[in-house]
Amino acid sequence: MSGSEKDSALLQLITQTLETGLQTQTEPFPETEVLFGEILTQLRHLDPDDLKSKLVIGGFINHPYGPDKQRCLECMYFLVHRKWCDLPELSVPVDAEWWCRLWRI
Amino acid sequence: MSFLNAEEPSACDLVTDFGINILWHPSLGMELGDNLQKLLKSCASGQTALDILVFEGSVVNAPGGTGEWNRFAGRAMKDWVRDLCKVATFVVAVGDCATWGGIPATAPNPSESQGLQFLKRKAGGFLGTQYRSKAGLPVINVPGCPAHPDWITQIVVAVATGRGGEIALDDFQRPKTFFTSFTQTGCTRNMHFAYKVSATEFGQRKGCLFYDLGCRGPMTHSPCNRILWNRQSSKTRAGMPCLGCTEPEFPFQDLAPGTVFKTQTVMGIPKDMPTGVEKSGYIKLTSAAKAASPRWAEEDLFVV
Repeated sequence: MSGSEKDSALLQLITQTLETGLQTQTEPFPETEVLFGEILTQLRHLDPDDLKSKLVIGGFINHPYGPDKQRCLECMYFLVHRKWCDLPELSVPVDAEWWCRLWRI
Repeated sequence: MSFLNAEEPSACDLVTDFGINILWHPSLGMELGDNLQKLLKSCASGQTALDILVFEGSVVNAPGGTGEWNRFAGRAMKDWVRDLCKVATFVVAVGDCATWGGIPATAPNPSESQGLQFLKRKAGGFLGTQYRSKAGLPVINVPGCPAHPDWITQIVVAVATGRGGEIALDDFQRPKTFFTSFTQTGCTRNMHFAYKVSATEFGQRKGCLFYDLGCRGPMTHSPCNRILWNRQSSKTRAGMPCLGCTEPEFPFQDLAPGTVFKTQTVMGIPKDMPTGVEKSGYIKLTSAAKAASPRWAEEDLFVV
């Protein structure tokens, strides 16, 4: 399986997981760098294959968030063409219309 | 020490091509001990003409305003500074310490350090706002940690060749020729800044360092990407965020852990915007830029 095929398969898996109603930690939003760093620390301690925990701690949802309709598309970590979250602690394929609480612009 | 790395013009050029007589320098000066004291006293008395005083380092006032924590040539350094500034035709402050106090003057400032005419952003400093050298100019500030050697030598040459009065200074008494543009001006990562593609680790050759790694290039006045370091490169070109070392607030956030190489945000939006950019405009621009970004912006362009 090529790299892009793996990414597509993983994207599909995450899509299905979120569609089943996985409850993730969208709150609290890390307002400061300290809180942001604490979430990153939690993510670093995960087993690299523990996708579900990554989605839960990251606070993934499969739609825009909040009154400003924040979404991955605007996030600095989002690679538009690869449809990829480039934050090293996440490093997963994502959809432009999704959101997580590590969102930054 | 930075000064000795100057290339355009070099420290040697100052002597051979521009006829500058370097009376004393910590690494080049021949006089030591009593002879140095004699030289300094000769300058302070006016017996030896002091055309340009180039001062480096903060003015230390501790303890209790005596300046005894920093003694030089038999007395408090600050006393030499006061005496020499009275007789110098031009005074040039080099580096953040001499310009605005630098790291030593960061709160709580135990050494009671000041810059020559500023303490951080506040005008005044050791010499006071009214100070003027014999040429009628305030202190010419060449900040940086370190200051680029060519900024130093080019200003010294301008003064030595009679063009000192033509040096336009900004509000912080920095030569406008160097400190009007931004560190970002000429940065090789500007394409990534435009398309909002972020570098997420040091040394990455793709991505802008502003979004995640705390780069202050878009709001720092310096020519670091126009007058390159060692004629080769710059911090941002090498994948290292600009620390904003030519601005009075340097070091930012009092060097608190987790603040130096991390872009500070409020609810996910940068706390310090690029100079002149409003928050609402920034959000709109981000959305548009991301949507329009080309594929190549996500890849490493600089293939060796």
